[in-house]
Amino acid sequence: MTLALLAAAPKGPIDTWDPSLIALFALLLPLFALLVILAFTIDSRQLSLAISVIFTLGAVICTLLVVAIEVAHPIHVERNATFLQFFTGQSGTASEFVLQWGVLADPLAATVLAAVALTSLFVQIYGLSYIRRDDGPIRFFCVLLFATFSMMGAVLATSYFEMLIFFGLISLTTYMMVGHWWQRAESTTAAATTFVISALGDVALLGAVAYIYFRFNELNFHTLAGLYTAPGKITANGLFIMSALVLIAAAAKSAQFPFHVWLPASAQAPAPAAAMLHAAGAALCGVYLIARSYALFHSSPRALALLAILGGVTALLGVVFALFQANLKRAIAYTTMAELGLMVLALGISAYGAAVFEAFTQAWPKALLFLAAGVVIREVRTERMSEMGGLWRRMPFTGWVMLIAVAAAAGVPPFSTFWSKDTILSRALAINSTLAVVVVVAVTVVGAMALVRIFCLVCLGETARRRRFEPDRIRDAGGRVAFAMLCFAIPSVVAGIRGIRGRTDPIAFVTFPGIPLPNSHFAAAGVIAVAALAGAALGWLIYGRRLRVPGLQRANPVLAEGLYLGRGYALAVSRALLPASAALGWVERSVIDGASDLVADSLAYAGRPRRWIADLSTRQLAIGVLAGALVLGVVVMIMTGRLFGTTG
Amino acid sequence: MILLETTTTAPAAISIPTLLLSAMVWIPAIGAIALLFFPSRTDAERDRIRSFAISVAAVVFGLGVLMWYGFSSQTGTYAFEETRGWLPGLSSSYHLGVDGVSMPLLLLSSVLFVFALMASPRVREQAKEYFILLLVLETGVNGVFASLDYLLFFLFWQLQAIPMFLLVARFGAVRRLAAAWKLLAVELASSALLLLAILILYRTAKTPTFDIATLHDVTVPAASALLVTWLFFIAFAVKLPVFPFHTWLTDGVSEASPPVALLLAGIGVKLGGYGLLRVNVGEFHSTFHKIVGAVIVIAVISVLWSAVAALAQDNLRRLVAYVVMSHMGLVLLAAASGSPVAINGAVLLMVADGLGAGLLVLIVAAIVERANTTSIRAMGGMAARMTRGAVLAILAALAAIGFPGLASFVGQLMIVMGAYGSHRLAIPLALLGVLVLAAAMIWTMQRIFFGVPLESQTRIRDLGMLELTNTIGLLALIVLLGLLPGVLMDSINFSVITLLTGAG
Repeated sequence: MTLALLAAAPKGPIDTWDPSLIALFALLLPLFALLVILAFTIDSRQLSLAISVIFTLGAVICTLLVVAIEVAHPIHVERNATFLQFFTGQSGTASEFVLQWGVLADPLAATVLAAVALTSLFVQIYGLSYIRRDDGPIRFFCVLLFATFSMMGAVLATSYFEMLIFFGLISLTTYMMVGHWWQRAESTTAAATTFVISALGDVALLGAVAYIYFRFNELNFHTLAGLYTAPGKITANGLFIMSALVLIAAAAKSAQFPFHVWLPASAQAPAPAAAMLHAAGAALCGVYLIARSYALFHSSPRALALLAILGGVTALLGVVFALFQANLKRAIAYTTMAELGLMVLALGISAYGAAVFEAFTQAWPKALLFLAAGVVIREVRTERMSEMGGLWRRMPFTGWVMLIAVAAAAGVPPFSTFWSKDTILSRALAINSTLAVVVVVAVTVVGAMALVRIFCLVCLGETARRRRFEPDRIRDAGGRVAFAMLCFAIPSVVAGIRGIRGRTDPIAFVTFPGIPLPNSHFAAAGVIAVAALAGAALGWLIYGRRLRVPGLQRANPVLAEGLYLGRGYALAVSRALLPASAALGWVERSVIDGASDLVADSLAYAGRPRRWIADLSTRQLAIGVLAGALVLGVVVMIMTGRLFGTTG
Repeated sequence: MILLETTTTAPAAISIPTLLLSAMVWIPAIGAIALLFFPSRTDAERDRIRSFAISVAAVVFGLGVLMWYGFSSQTGTYAFEETRGWLPGLSSSYHLGVDGVSMPLLLLSSVLFVFALMASPRVREQAKEYFILLLVLETGVNGVFASLDYLLFFLFWQLQAIPMFLLVARFGAVRRLAAAWKLLAVELASSALLLLAILILYRTAKTPTFDIATLHDVTVPAASALLVTWLFFIAFAVKLPVFPFHTWLTDGVSEASPPVALLLAGIGVKLGGYGLLRVNVGEFHSTFHKIVGAVIVIAVISVLWSAVAALAQDNLRRLVAYVVMSHMGLVLLAAASGSPVAINGAVLLMVADGLGAGLLVLIVAAIVERANTTSIRAMGGMAARMTRGAVLAILAALAAIGFPGLASFVGQLMIVMGAYGSHRLAIPLALLGVLVLAAAMIWTMQRIFFGVPLESQTRIRDLGMLELTNTIGLLALIVLLGLLPGVLMDSINFSVITLLTGAG
């Protein structure tokens, strides 16, 4: 319909440009910058950093163009090239094995692409000053460029095969970002945890690829969308297993329960890297995968229910863990987990547009929180919130942006996530799901509490006294760091505001066939506003005004450790898997190797003395080999019963 | 829009003399004979020997590339065939030829020999013998890939076993003799079974012949076909290696000198994989199908065992062997599936694993030399001093675990996608093994390179020029195959289909 309207309208440049081509440019620019840095400017810090920022700016311009085109007329454009193709003459019919890669442009991709590119750009500006000269700035920027490239690649992927490739790259970049300070044991351990859980997701996706290909002989998202519901192709159980495999891949990347333990561990990354990871990196790509494969989930009601349950559990656990977490970055990470759970919950209750909207609005305040935390941690030289406090007076700018970020992430009107949470709740009300409504409201209340707690502990009260720490030397952020935070603060305020195109959302062009636009529910808006404000007030009373709440202290140690889940996994690995593998290693050495040693030893005994083999000369060797061949030849002759010339 | 043009332009049929394949097989042997007459008293003379050996291997590699360009893949039949009368009384002939399955492996062999020879700079004692044995080994290995006659196949199989044994026994680390005897035990067992299988085949065939192309499970009685299939399978499987016959590989890789370990892990085990595809899958397809259940179990156990053993392994050199074993377990799985996509993937994975294992062996040798220990626990923080080494080692580890963009990814993906249809339980289990192996590799690299540098390892130097050349050369090939697998796949596929449909 849109296209018909377009045909009538006068054609401007936006109507004739091919969005997929521009998206391809956006994808290739970070990669190109990376190659240029690696090949030519790796010795010059300033030049490398400048190249990185300039090329990312180019990518941002390209993505904004894509967004403009998609807003003007939402279409799905895709261009593919063959990666591998050959005929397989299986079971008499000429079939073909094709793997393709390419780029696509559609409203969903454009929205997420814009978030990725902008986050990458702002984070790089922040990193220009934040990453110090002896901290490996060139390595950091290279990894960031690679992360941007791989995330954009995943967003623009046209098939599960391509998604698999970029998921692998995202795992690697996440590992490199989390392990940036490779000399620290805790950071490398966190990186390993992250990588293993990510790789688990990749392997699940590989399984999904095998299963989907086995069923449909096809991996392209767009083509597959029409096949899931085709009669006789696949049973309901098959669809459920398929979506469960995709869901495991997405859950491992997007930190859904029980794969969430890598998310708090990833707070070991430098602040800008953590901002990238949580706002528009690995944490987002899992949700994106679900959104991209939504046709699959949509065709299986059980899969949708699973999504909703998993998302709800993750969101509730996330906000509760965040509320009791003592470490600043980990607390922020747990709030990300809650938001991711909310997105998955939204996808589970068919609030497709609302989930993408939520992903778009929460990226900015989350990145801003991490950047502000980075400044705070650098100044007070601790990550424990109990040792902070009173920073409102000492660093007013950081305090203000932190307040904005907290308000925006908590869903306080009119900041960004208020609007997205409102659309999610509207959907929950529209389908009359009491459970979903309760979960969304509870997550909003407790989430607001947890965020306000972070603000109170960091900014209000008195700065804790510690040895060899002089609070008077604390300096507020300035220069590029402050500018980058401002860049995130603006969308944190305005990203959700309606009315840009009539009464619909700014991302109302992201739709899924069969699902109505995320319409706002007046009651929902009111409930969310009340819930967020109530949670914030409660948080302020408890943590700002030190209101005593009985029982809160007792729950503290258990929940601060995230119900000991992360520690439980670590124990399972160190106490069960490693000893088991050590036991197998013993079997390997003593039983299997012992047996083969026996054989080898008896051989060696037969050929004693052992040293003769080392003392042979070349001539002797040659003679020996020839003699052996001759003997062998004779043996063959005799055994086949034929000597030369006597053909039977 | 074309992102990447993967289709190679089909070359016009270049008429290359049929002697080309013979040249690839025998030039190293001729070089070895020539080396006998080289003096080897001074360092300069030993250098000359090394340069000569490298140039011989380079010539073979050049011929391999030439052959690959002239390789007309479209029919899936044997190319560069050469048949000469040889032992007519036995109806055995000197029959050489390559198809899409053996051609990539032949190419891999010629590449790896160049790198192995380049990586052997410091052989001071018995340099001449060392290079002669390496060249004889190349003749044996290339001969196995090229021969289309069972007797010839067996003779070349023997011809590679002897120099391999001597190379491990004479030029390895402290426990080299034990490793060499173990290697010999496996070689003897596998050759004995091979010989037995070939002779049974010869005796029971309707028309006695040794020709591989004409002997397959239709031409022999069902009972003896089954027996022969089992014998061939065991002979190739111990060479693959599969659980529980794999300790010769771990010992061999850890005790042999790095270039020999490179060949052992890179091309030695591929002989088993090649034999499996050529004989069991190609010639005895329907009989092999009967024993497929047992084969699958063995393959899955191999993949899982190697992954868990890699997790427990503290000896860095042995770790490489487990990576190879895991990949070869996947190859076995693909062979058992009988799906063309999976077998294509198996050939690609063998080539990728050959290059990847070579890279890993060289990197590991560099690390062990600097750390002065093979124990992973006794290493740490080495990235502080060897930045390039750390980057290359992590890339090698990623290549080993099948990371996207690197060659083994495509092979593993194709095996998983192709074999899933017939083995819905085995594939998830194998994927579990792949995951554990990935975790083990990353954990290992982390323990070696990250953390606070150890006191004893603060003065190590980064990779030298020669090490860089070798590792980057191998890595370039791995990346090339990872990004453009089409350059090989086009020629592999038709032969795989012929293999699967032509026989049985």
